[in-house]
Amino acid sequence: MKTEPQAWLRLQEHASAQISPGFADRVLRAVRGEESPLIVAHFGMAIVTAALCLFAVLLFQARTSPDSAANLAGWKEIAAQASDFDQGL
Amino acid sequence: MRELIVAYQRRVAGFVYAITGRSDSIEDLAQMVFVKMARAINRLKAPEQFESWLFRLARNTCIDHLRRQKLRRIFTPFAPEHENVPEPDGAVDSEELDALRHALEQLRPKDRALLALVQEGRSHAEIAEICKTSVAAVKARLHRAREELRQHYQSDED
Repeated sequence: MKTEPQAWLRLQEHASAQISPGFADRVLRAVRGEESPLIVAHFGMAIVTAALCLFAVLLFQARTSPDSAANLAGWKEIAAQASDFDQGL
Repeated sequence: MRELIVAYQRRVAGFVYAITGRSDSIEDLAQMVFVKMARAINRLKAPEQFESWLFRLARNTCIDHLRRQKLRRIFTPFAPEHENVPEPDGAVDSEELDALRHALEQLRPKDRALLALVQEGRSHAEIAEICKTSVAAVKARLHRAREELRQHYQSDED
């Protein structure tokens, strides 16, 4: 006569036999594996973003500084001409 | 943490198998349960409720797995011969286990989880909390699930 409680016991035995040796260590490795790449990814993203911003600022400065110097020189010349003109009057 | 996993791995495996009915997904699902446990155990406020909390994690993981599987089948349906592929030969070596597995298969996953929680010694109040329902509802559903299981189990044995 087969009884249901015996069957539940068999089910438990069968299921636990499917867990291969070293299971707990694999779980712990999976936990660590999930955590560390996440931290690295977060820091990596922050560093890349900061580097891109710095690069953009430097590039903008490098491109605009010769123009600014030229503009300044142009204005100085105009200011000098205006001053000469004022003195001439 | 390691001791905790070793202490509960057999029970969680049995619980997962009772709900999913598949030997080949026991280890993966049990691993998912313990990974969730390891990540969330610091947030457990009442350590005396650990078992109840762990089996809630296990129940939800199995139900989600079955739900995802069902959803996946909608988008990528299997050919009829690939639906409900039986367990490989030798996977289940006991007639009575086979009968119980077939009887459980006839039940809804939530009812299977209910019966598995009872097998794990959870009280009606704990099950009500795990399933987010009332104790009266648990008793009624449990009664119905037990009756269904008994019917299918007996018909399998005949």
